[in-house]
Amino acid sequence: MLKQSIIEDVLYSALSTGGDFAEVFVEDKFNTALNMVGGKIENGISGRDYGVGIRIFYGTNSIYAYTNDSSKENLIKVAKKAAMVVGAIKKDITINLMKDSINNIHFIQQYPLDIQKSKKVELMKKAYYSAKNYDNIISQVRVRYMDEDQRVLIANSEGLFVQDRRVRTRTAINAVASRKGEMQSGHCAPGAHMGFEFYEKINIEDYAKEAARIAKTMVNASYCPSGKMPVVIDNGFGGVIFHEACGHGLEATSVAKGTSVFAGKIGQKIASDVVTAIDDGTILNAWGSQNIDDEGTKMRKNVLIENGILKGYMIDQLNGIKMGMKSTGSGRRQSYKYAPTSRMTNTYIQNGKSTFKEIIQGTEYGLYAKKMGGGSVNPATGDFNFAVMEGYMIRNGKICEPVRGATLIGSGSETLNKIDMVGNNLAYGQGMCGSSSGSIPVNVGQPVIRVEAMTVGGRKEE
Amino acid sequence: MDYRKIIDLLFHKGQVIGFKDMEVFIQRDKSLNLKVFKKEIDNFSISDEGGLSFRGIYKGKMGYSYTEKIDMDSVDLLINEAIENSKVIDSEDEEYIFEGSKEYKTINNFNEDLEKIEVEDKIDFLKNLEKYALELDSRVDAVNYCSYGQEETYSLLVNTKGLDLENKSNIAYSYISVVVKENEDIKTSYKYIVSNDFSEFDYKKLSKEAVNEALSLLEAKSIKSNEYPVVIRNSTFANILKAFSPIFNGENVEKGLSLLKDKINKKIADMKITIVDDPFYKDGIATSFDGEGVATKYKKIIENGVLKTYLHNLKSAKKAKVMSTGNAYKGSYKGTVSIAPTNMYIENGDKSLDEILKTMDKGLMIIDVQGLHSGLNTVSGDFSLAAKAYLIEKGKIKRPINGITISGNFFEVLKNIEEIGNDLSFAMPSMGYVGSPSIKVKRLSIAGE
Repeated sequence: MLKQSIIEDVLYSALSTGGDFAEVFVEDKFNTALNMVGGKIENGISGRDYGVGIRIFYGTNSIYAYTNDSSKENLIKVAKKAAMVVGAIKKDITINLMKDSINNIHFIQQYPLDIQKSKKVELMKKAYYSAKNYDNIISQVRVRYMDEDQRVLIANSEGLFVQDRRVRTRTAINAVASRKGEMQSGHCAPGAHMGFEFYEKINIEDYAKEAARIAKTMVNASYCPSGKMPVVIDNGFGGVIFHEACGHGLEATSVAKGTSVFAGKIGQKIASDVVTAIDDGTILNAWGSQNIDDEGTKMRKNVLIENGILKGYMIDQLNGIKMGMKSTGSGRRQSYKYAPTSRMTNTYIQNGKSTFKEIIQGTEYGLYAKKMGGGSVNPATGDFNFAVMEGYMIRNGKICEPVRGATLIGSGSETLNKIDMVGNNLAYGQGMCGSSSGSIPVNVGQPVIRVEAMTVGGRKEE
Repeated sequence: MDYRKIIDLLFHKGQVIGFKDMEVFIQRDKSLNLKVFKKEIDNFSISDEGGLSFRGIYKGKMGYSYTEKIDMDSVDLLINEAIENSKVIDSEDEEYIFEGSKEYKTINNFNEDLEKIEVEDKIDFLKNLEKYALELDSRVDAVNYCSYGQEETYSLLVNTKGLDLENKSNIAYSYISVVVKENEDIKTSYKYIVSNDFSEFDYKKLSKEAVNEALSLLEAKSIKSNEYPVVIRNSTFANILKAFSPIFNGENVEKGLSLLKDKINKKIADMKITIVDDPFYKDGIATSFDGEGVATKYKKIIENGVLKTYLHNLKSAKKAKVMSTGNAYKGSYKGTVSIAPTNMYIENGDKSLDEILKTMDKGLMIIDVQGLHSGLNTVSGDFSLAAKAYLIEKGKIKRPINGITISGNFFEVLKNIEEIGNDLSFAMPSMGYVGSPSIKVKRLSIAGE
């Protein structure tokens, strides 16, 4: 991707003014995106992202520069421009790049670039018709297909020189149901760190029907009541609650600054006993997995919370220096345009002992959030919010009428202590997580859980 | 790199292989991003990058491709990918390459002075911003974001129908978020400024606003769930309007994804409401030509409550049998052409925010909402958003409120607007620049205790 000798020269230039550490990140990525509306391909675009990011550490500070002119002269010019910011005295550093091959565990069978576009379109049509023909009430269906094939080369002044290749594919189906001038939509978007073989492992039609089912259910639903009540959050994408309520606060990005509510709490009880939470970037071919993170550190399984006790954070190199701790393989970035920072990979609450049936039956009144939408959090206060895409009222231990338009809000530390039941049906959902190092693919996951009281933002008094 | 040489080669090779019309869009960005934390430069990022996108009509269908590796070797890739992408298109919608508008007004959004200011001055500005905020009150615990960003964008649009347009603009912004702490109570607040005139960057004003607001939120409590009259502060309503701006998108209307279908010349909002899309707005960020090379123009989207037009690009306009409104949007060389507003805003009313509050016996003033990317549905108009607010009693701020959501339907909100302020303010720019004055809505559902 870039000659070893050029990289060495760039690293030396980056350290020419006294920096402690320098890193070069080279990215070459092919993307395809196809959009289908009303069963017809509206447009398709494909192309190549290519660029180089150069990073320098001095003390606990860092400088980042990027460009997509990868000629030797330009890279050295950019490295020197970045180095000027350090402005100290050059240290005596020798760089010996040691080419290291990574241990690839996420095997790809069918590279997207080898698959005819017509096959991708065929898949989209299958999804379209499954959703459209689900019911007469479905008035419009949008299908978006994407795949990417990313090669990265990461080298640094400590001698690291590694390459990795990540292939991801995803199909998003959005169904709209219309009734008497009202519209509601349902959404499903399965994805994986896989090639086109992903679509042999899943049945895209099931997901399409699911999107249509949600739209149909919601257009017939009345508004959700508001107020504080017990909330049962189903498995899979329901894990977004942990992602927002706690995950972001355990990223070293805010912990190192002391601006997270969870800073300085290792070994302390921060959640109820039934909660064990994990971030695992090594799950085979999962959406948020990689062999190595975007700083070249091997990804691993990190226990964040064990039986309610805070065990660890997600840490990248720079924040590791600030915290006096080692990287946990959590340094990630959207592309060469972003300096990496600590991020989540596949984050989930581990299985507990309750069954779905027990949890519903044990709830006299409350909200059953079957499908969750996205959310966000303020890491300094822990205040989070997220949307319920498909909800039902629970009355006398039974799932009753569907309700729409609900948002769940609360504070992370409070909610973690109020999780009183954890089911045994762990599943994952795929999402894109946006933060300071860009938008990256992450899995969220959990078994069904119950929070004994949460503020539900609906529109109706009950 | 000589862009013209590559463009010539692309058009030549494209023509030989059978493209009818072709277009190249090049964008080049130079940016600077700085962050300060505890007197140190926490982030220093510089870039100089760009890309080239190609599109062309091959056998009647438009194929797109792009590359960030701009060199002669990429020409074949661009052509082949565009052909492959055109082949799978089965939409019958006609797409064109545009020959150009008669006239392009001049909009100058490039301020040379911004480029001349030393990086040190910008770092000093940030250090002062942080220091001043920390010194304002002993309860200021940290300044968790203190950033400055600056971007210079050059774009070039050239096609085989003779269009040859270029634009250069620059913009700078600063963002501060403060954390205040009293006993165990932690609150945050943020403020930002967007301008390409560095003399407008006033660290005292920015930090004071952020700190005062954060302090005012200490001891915030929830409120009983109910329906209340609400005033939504200017930039917060601007953010909500921006999130709902796809309802005006002509393509969404045509595809049955907007409830504004068949509503042209019908009353869809209170008659006090006029929404304009004005590329020439004085402090705006628009350019004189849109993503397809069509001259941008001023129009009223809603006039005294009546819907006057949707926003169109060439394709959606042709389907609706109208002229393009100059709202084709090409966010970057990576995207296909879509639709977005230029500078879109609700026209000012005549009352100040204070005067509007005085019209309220008991209600809420919403000062911030969270969850705009997930808690609203542009198709149905429904929204449910986490919010920060003040309780207003007898026209005065009584106390801060948190732990609530505001819920409603945007189409109903438009009809239930009672007062419009005279304090137009804009949301952070992205896919258009959207503004609003403070707005009083008859009532909205508030979920709290």
